[in-house]
Amino acid sequence: MPGPLINQLLHTDLPRTGLSQPRAQGTGKLSVFGDEHGVTRLRDLRQSGSLRLVFPRTHRPDAEAILVNTAGGITGGDQFSLNIKVQTGAILSITTQAAERAYRAQSGEIACVTTDVSVQDGASLNWLPQELILFDSCALQRRLSVDLAPHARLLMVESVVFGRAAMREVLHDVKFQDRIRITRDGRPLYIDGIDLHGDAAAHLTRPAIANGSVAMASVVMVGPDALSHLKTVRELLPQTAGATMLADDVLVIRQLASDSFELRRNLIPILEHLSNNTLPTSWRL
Amino acid sequence: MVMVAPIPTNTSPPRMTTEHDILILAQWLSPAFPVGAFAYSHGLETAIHSGAIATACDLQDWLTCVLSHGSGRNDCILLRAAYRSGPQAALDEVNQTALAVSASSERIRETQLQGSAFSQTTSAIWGSDKTEFCYPVAVGHAAAQLWLDVDLTAAFYLHGFVSNLVSAAVRAVPLGQTEGQRVLAALIPMCDQIVQETQCTTLDDLSSTAFLSDIAAMRHETLQPRIFRS
Repeated sequence: MPGPLINQLLHTDLPRTGLSQPRAQGTGKLSVFGDEHGVTRLRDLRQSGSLRLVFPRTHRPDAEAILVNTAGGITGGDQFSLNIKVQTGAILSITTQAAERAYRAQSGEIACVTTDVSVQDGASLNWLPQELILFDSCALQRRLSVDLAPHARLLMVESVVFGRAAMREVLHDVKFQDRIRITRDGRPLYIDGIDLHGDAAAHLTRPAIANGSVAMASVVMVGPDALSHLKTVRELLPQTAGATMLADDVLVIRQLASDSFELRRNLIPILEHLSNNTLPTSWRL
Repeated sequence: MVMVAPIPTNTSPPRMTTEHDILILAQWLSPAFPVGAFAYSHGLETAIHSGAIATACDLQDWLTCVLSHGSGRNDCILLRAAYRSGPQAALDEVNQTALAVSASSERIRETQLQGSAFSQTTSAIWGSDKTEFCYPVAVGHAAAQLWLDVDLTAAFYLHGFVSNLVSAAVRAVPLGQTEGQRVLAALIPMCDQIVQETQCTTLDDLSSTAFLSDIAAMRHETLQPRIFRS
């Protein structure tokens, strides 16, 4: 019987050497509101360093924002932070220009990516970044916090590719810590965490872990109509996925796939359905 | 001079564990304690149905992952957090977190109904609070109220957890009783290890990479036919 390949004790110790300089820094602040005609408008936008937000025209009353990492990826020591406020009446979709890449890090250097989001009553956020691709020897600590007002709506997808299978990239030694925390009025609604420290590839082959799949997605939908989508979603899911209701208005999907292409192929119809066909074009295959 | 008995508080220094304490925990976490544990498979039934678990070896690997990278470890973190949470508000936060980190609606019912049944019995007999908390939260809180050692409580809890799953598998897979007990015996060091590793954890350490165990729990909701409630 194989022993534990992933050491869960070490994950909290993510030391940073005192002298190392961050290689890339990026901060972004975005706030949108809904005007009296129901059109989503910009209230505040600040961006610095390697993080940029661009706003394509949608010809719809809702807004779309595309996150661009001008550094072209994440490596050890990088620090990104993003703060988003979706105010009453606004409908905002956020995606990324490309899949994010966590590259090999220098020994002892950990990248930090922190995102804080709040969604007010009568506002709606579609958090739809493209996948995060982990490379061998990456070191990344990521945290997404979403606080919802009692009558806010959310659609979230987070997908991670543990080494690109087609490129024969295998993760033998990674440090990856991911935290997703969705709260409503400060009370926990959905909490998810991933700790991978060590030989992720071997870990993911185990039948209760991923049975060899190297792409994983989590989808969360919060809204009064969430339950009405459960049946349709289940019909769209492959065998390696499941859907459930954590509460009457909280729909959760967990999906595994053999690679990122397969993951997207399965996810797109589900996200199209849940986003009412407003999935950003960067998601198309 | 009249000696006044000290007022018990949660912050009192740890006392020696006695045989009496051990036997209380043996009673609480035994399969005979009326929490209805036998009705839940924690998604194992789906994995057995799909063929993912067909042998004792499959079962041992699956349960090792559930214990060390999934809900076993998380329950241990939650139990510890409940143990050190004195005021009601902090306990509610731990309980809400326990619900939010659950993988599926059936897992939520599994932990809620067992926690509620556990608390009902312990409050009737030992006078601990009657609560509606999730199972690990209810056990952690009751143990704190009786000043039972938290490491020992966590060890008994994990052993009870995995013992119940072995028993579920023995009923659902053509697996002999001896094979089942051999798997359980092999998992004891893992229980002990998780108890040690979770000693300094907080709620921020909750995580799971037991993706297919969690997916199996989700898919159990539509599994037909089925004999377990999760």
